[in-house]
Amino acid sequence: MSLDTEAKGRYGWLYGSLDLSVICGLGLILVLLPLFPGEFQVVVGAEVLIMGLFATSGNLLYGYMGEISFGHSAFFGLGAYTTALFMRAFQGPTGEIGYLPFLISIFMAIPVSALGALIIGFFCVRLTGIYFAMLSLAFAELLYYIVFSWYSFTKGDDGIQGLLPPPWLQGTTHYYYFALLVIAGTLVFLWRITNSPFSYVLRMLRENKNRAAFVGVNVRTSMLVNFVIAGAFAGLAGGLWGPFQRSVSPVLLGSLQSATAVFMILMGGPRFFVGPLVGSTIYTVLNAYLTRFTVYWPLTIGSIILIFVFFLPGGILSAVQRWIRASLGHRSKSSACMPVERK
Amino acid sequence: MPGNKILEVIGLNKRFGGQQVTKDLNFHLYEGDQAAIIGPNGAGKTTFFNLLTGYYRADSGSVLFDGREIAHLPSYLIARAGMTRAFQVSNIFPKLTALENVRSAVQAQMGRAFDLFSRADRIGVAEAEEILCLCRLEEEQCTIAGELSQGDKKKLELALALAGKPKLLLLDEPTAGMSPEETRETMALIDHLNQAFRLTVLFTEHDMGVVFNHARRVTLLHRGEKIVEGSPQEVRRNETVQRIYLGEQQ
Repeated sequence: MSLDTEAKGRYGWLYGSLDLSVICGLGLILVLLPLFPGEFQVVVGAEVLIMGLFATSGNLLYGYMGEISFGHSAFFGLGAYTTALFMRAFQGPTGEIGYLPFLISIFMAIPVSALGALIIGFFCVRLTGIYFAMLSLAFAELLYYIVFSWYSFTKGDDGIQGLLPPPWLQGTTHYYYFALLVIAGTLVFLWRITNSPFSYVLRMLRENKNRAAFVGVNVRTSMLVNFVIAGAFAGLAGGLWGPFQRSVSPVLLGSLQSATAVFMILMGGPRFFVGPLVGSTIYTVLNAYLTRFTVYWPLTIGSIILIFVFFLPGGILSAVQRWIRASLGHRSKSSACMPVERK
Repeated sequence: MPGNKILEVIGLNKRFGGQQVTKDLNFHLYEGDQAAIIGPNGAGKTTFFNLLTGYYRADSGSVLFDGREIAHLPSYLIARAGMTRAFQVSNIFPKLTALENVRSAVQAQMGRAFDLFSRADRIGVAEAEEILCLCRLEEEQCTIAGELSQGDKKKLELALALAGKPKLLLLDEPTAGMSPEETRETMALIDHLNQAFRLTVLFTEHDMGVVFNHARRVTLLHRGEKIVEGSPQEVRRNETVQRIYLGEQQ
């Protein structure tokens, strides 16, 4: 038995367990959320889930591959508009839509966003660091402008309204559970990817792109594949967003939308699979409840982000992990088998 | 005498701006050979390695590896074909553990880079552990690579190059910055790899003791040109060598 698995046995309950316990805790709350009286928290919950998926997809680029995208909203928006346009095409004269056409509309967001990511990614993966970030932003702004201006196709600034799901999914709770099911399935899928040999290729790229090439990694193609996966699932998040809000508008492709995902990633912890979901929870809940008390929401969230950046580098999960380590006290040699930077 | 030429370089040229850094270089290595390239700083040793491994593209000339033209190939395909390198300054993946470093390299060399759904901790583990043991890093498997001692980082650097069972190993100053003890240990390992696995080794080195004790063939580069080539004894006796290289050392 290798040292690695031996240590995993002894510390199995801690090894990667932060991800797991957060998933269980958060999952339980999310499943039970509609049982509490009132509907508002269900709306917030749906937003947590959809934005959580969006941020998780963005973290494939940042946390795993080490490249931050300031234009990830392009794919969220692409997915949202794909679903919206398909739904409009399927809708009958009074706006009704069947279950199958509705599902097709949602899931078409994946291939269309993937295709968009393939085209945009082809250029972005040629760059790294700030240049990667800026080029991704430029493409998102470009796409935003196209959607904004192409009135005959996208209805421009007005957006596309009346995206009513089929009858059974119109209730908030029903749509919530639908989104929960789809997103949970997607997260399991992404969880597998983030433990695969491919994810270790991404980690090698994050750590040292140059060296990766000399151990046989095709740097650009690996980056592109990851870019397409990230784009595809950002698109699915966008696809779920439209029918939830009953409308889409160009704001979904805007730079603020991308920045929101970045905030969520940094708040939760980019080195953790559930980090972005935790970040989405914090951000969305604060947004939903603080705006009741203050009109200075941007000021408030700005201050909160400042606090996170200065006092909780690596996000809240990283701080929790440090705290658990510290309270466990003594660190034997083999406890080094639970690296600090574990995902 | 030896059989196949595993590496054959013909008329290699590389120019950076006005400076010719590699000039009409002809070079070959037989399978199972252990050879050294020496030369003063700026002689073009590292450039030569960069040309061989596809990091630089040669202006002209041909590189045959295992009978196959590779001068036009990108680095990752050359690595996959079985020519790997260890860098002079350790060039590792600092936030992964030592085991993850080597295991990931092994997986990439196995062609599993685009395997999205298997579990990474179940593939290539035995091979990675074997390599770590060879490099005397078995105790440090679970250490974050960035936290290893300088000497151990250098060992990990070598371990990364051994992933995927290469046919030809290029080592750029494998003992630079090492204590005499570590130098002995590293060179003993390289000799062992060469003898036990018939791994062809080409290294650059400044330490003449290391060169003359561990290389069976020595090539002197000077300003991008091959000046002398031969057995360590021949090179040591050569007047040109003494003038331009060994002389400077004294």
